[in-house]
Amino acid sequence: MRIIDRPNKKGGTRTAKAGIVLVAAALGALLFLCPAASAQQRTIVLDPGHGGLDVGAKGKFGAVEKDVVLAISLKLKALIESNLDYRVVLTRDKDMDVSLENRAALANNNDAAVFVSLHANGSFRKKAHGSETFFLSLNSTDEESRKLAYQENTAAGVGDRIVEDDKNLIQMILWDMAQSAYVRQSSRLAEIIQRELNVLLATENRGIKQADFKVLRGVACPAVLVEAAFISNPEEEQRLIDDAFQARVADAVFRGLSAYLRLLRRD
Amino acid sequence: MAKFRTPLVILLAVLLVGLVYLFIASISPERIANRAETPETPADVALLAEETRTVTLFFPREDDGLFVPETRSIPASGSIAQEAEAVLNELIKGSSKGLPSALPPEAKVGQVFVTKDGTAYADFSKDLVVAHPSGSDAETSTVFAIVDTLAFNFKSIKKVFILVDGEEKETLNGHVTLDRAFTPDFSLVAKD
Repeated sequence: MRIIDRPNKKGGTRTAKAGIVLVAAALGALLFLCPAASAQQRTIVLDPGHGGLDVGAKGKFGAVEKDVVLAISLKLKALIESNLDYRVVLTRDKDMDVSLENRAALANNNDAAVFVSLHANGSFRKKAHGSETFFLSLNSTDEESRKLAYQENTAAGVGDRIVEDDKNLIQMILWDMAQSAYVRQSSRLAEIIQRELNVLLATENRGIKQADFKVLRGVACPAVLVEAAFISNPEEEQRLIDDAFQARVADAVFRGLSAYLRLLRRD
Repeated sequence: MAKFRTPLVILLAVLLVGLVYLFIASISPERIANRAETPETPADVALLAEETRTVTLFFPREDDGLFVPETRSIPASGSIAQEAEAVLNELIKGSSKGLPSALPPEAKVGQVFVTKDGTAYADFSKDLVVAHPSGSDAETSTVFAIVDTLAFNFKSIKKVFILVDGEEKETLNGHVTLDRAFTPDFSLVAKD
């Protein structure tokens, strides 16, 4: 067995070395050929809410949230890419199901600078109207830290294998709490975006609010959820399906993002 | 032996007639009518006992969505779980004053279970999700109408965990996280 193993190992090392050289060469060529894709360019992740079987909120005249927010997100992506030095990744660029966890994971895997989830609101109240911007509420934090403390306590003084398992659990809980570290920045981002929504949309200012939204929880960067008007309100539904209004929502979020990123660079 | 038996039989018969008379007399015509109309469920048994309690339900008002209280009478069963179920059923029936309801009328209450530490597990049929209009405003209303109403009426309920078809659900329709018990938020109740 050992005799057979040795040449294999050597062969493996050689292949690995060749591989590293190749990858390095490819990377060098990439950096040389497209300076725009340099390591400095960061990513903004846009999250059109719902999609696929999950249509989101529905309007009286048949408009559905998933379509409206996708249209707005595509407009916003174009605005950002032609005006800012940021790459845009969408959690979905067509009508498809994406889990809430994967939306957050996409932001983290792309080392996103900012995460914006785009929604249109729905209510039991026919007259509910206006726009608002959410960031994560910290109400859940005491609950989470208690969970974490429990995990740490039970991990102490038990066998190695169990400690391993618990480490994974802690990792998972930490992941779920990722946004907690960014709540202050997220609140600032929400404030700036909401100001622009008020100026550009002429919808009622519902202000910035905090809520324990699943999609924001695991995002490890400043993250907000924009609720642009109510699709459940027939008047606002008409506005939401209007191309010019969608462009204004995109423009408002774009202006908010630009202002926030300028602040971020100055700090 | 036969000599002793006859008075014993008479005594027993008299006792039996007396008991039957007492039993019939104890049931008022009103109660009999009640019994005839509705099938016997635990709620009706409580109704027979004529013990009810007044409870407060929260419905969002049209203009700003803040909760407005509305009182109802439910059978007082003495069991928190049963009374909590009755309260949630009333909440689903909707407002008698024409306010919007924060729960879809299709939803059905499963069971309510209250732990010693004051966490109520309120289980609903999946209609709560399927018939839900979606939207963060609608979800927030649903969650806190349930949580605030339960916590307001039962001192022993400190927080509420919402279950759907007996299981934990990630969210109702993509917004508010349901993987934890909610403490009530009475700032959502209208002050005026």
